[in-house]
Amino acid sequence: MSERAEAAERAATAYRALADLAETVEDEWQYVTDLTDAYLPSIRALGSGAAPLHVGAAEAVDEAIAEIALITDPHRAIDWLSTFPHVVAIALGGDVDEEAEPAEGAGGDGPEPPEPDADSPFGTLLRFHR
Amino acid sequence: MRFQDAARDARTVVYAGIQADPLVAQVAGLLVGATPAERWMARAVMNGERTEPEIWRRIFPSLFGEGPAAGVRDHADRLLAASLAVANRGEQARSSYRGAVVEELTAQLLARRGGTVKRERRVLFDGVPAEIHPYDVTVESPGRPQVYDCKWGARGINADVLNQLDDARAHAADEEIELDVALVVFDARRSAEIRLDRSTARRDDTRLVALETIDELGEARP
Repeated sequence: MSERAEAAERAATAYRALADLAETVEDEWQYVTDLTDAYLPSIRALGSGAAPLHVGAAEAVDEAIAEIALITDPHRAIDWLSTFPHVVAIALGGDVDEEAEPAEGAGGDGPEPPEPDADSPFGTLLRFHR
Repeated sequence: MRFQDAARDARTVVYAGIQADPLVAQVAGLLVGATPAERWMARAVMNGERTEPEIWRRIFPSLFGEGPAAGVRDHADRLLAASLAVANRGEQARSSYRGAVVEELTAQLLARRGGTVKRERRVLFDGVPAEIHPYDVTVESPGRPQVYDCKWGARGINADVLNQLDDARAHAADEEIELDVALVVFDARRSAEIRLDRSTARRDDTRLVALETIDELGEARP
C-alpha cells in the first residue's frame, strides 16, 4: 500500500469514528448518515493514484486526525464531518466534492459479519443493532 | 415592499456588540482576499479544539510550508492568528463570532458591487404580517433589491430559513418587484446540497452561495 493510500485509509477510519460520535445527535442522524455516505468514499478515493505526496502531507493528515480525535461533543463532531474531508483533500491534493465510487469494504472498518441464520433466535436482535 | 430596522431586544443588543468587535471585521477582511485553502483553514481553526498555531501550520503545509511565496504565507499567518483569536473566545462566544464573521464577509463582498448594504433588516409587504427574524444582510437598491441569510455551517439550513426567503421573494413578486434571495453558507457546497436534498421547503428560486463560490458575491450579477 502506498504512503498516499495509507494516509487516506487512516483518515477514513478516523472519519468513521467521528461519524459514530455525531450519530448520537438523534435529530441529525439522517444528515450525519448522508454526509458520511458522501464523504467516506471520497476520502478513500484520495488514496488512489500514483502521485507522490508533497512534503508534510502525511504529517498534516495525522495532525488533522489528532484534532478530530479530541472531539467529545457530538454537535462539534457534526461541524467537522463537513470540514475534515476538505482538510484532508488539501493535504493530499485532490477533491472530495465529487461523488466517488464506494471502495470495497467502505462503510466499515472491516469485513461485514456474516448474516445470522434466519432461524436463529439471535437473528432479530443482531439485525436490530445494525 | 420596504425595508425596516429590526427591533432590538436584549439578545440582539449583545449580538450587536459582537458584530461591532473589530476582530469580526478583521477576520472577514482577511477572508475576502483569501484562497479556498485559506478559507478552509479558517473554518477548521474556528471550529477547532487546539489553539497552538504550530499545529495548524502543520495541518496546512500548502499554506505554511516551504512551497508558498512569502506573501501567501504572510496572509495565511495573519488569517490564522485572527481565526485563533476567535477560537480563543470560548465555546459559547465563538459560535456567535463565527456567525458574525460570515455576515460581515458577505457584506464586505457585496459592498464591492456598490449599492446600499445593510444589516439586520426586515422586509415589510402590504397586507402581510411581518416576519420576526430579520435578514442578516440586505442590498436595498430600488432596481434589484436583495436579501441574504448567512450560516456558518450547512447544518444551519432549515425549513424556516428556506420558507422565509421564498415567502419574501413571492410577496415581492406580488408587488411586481424582483427580489433576489440567497443563502450564504460558509461550508462546502456539497454539504449544503446534502442538507437541502432532505428539505421539502420550496427553494427553486433561492440562490445558494457556498464557501467555494463566495467570491461571486462581489461580482456583478447578470
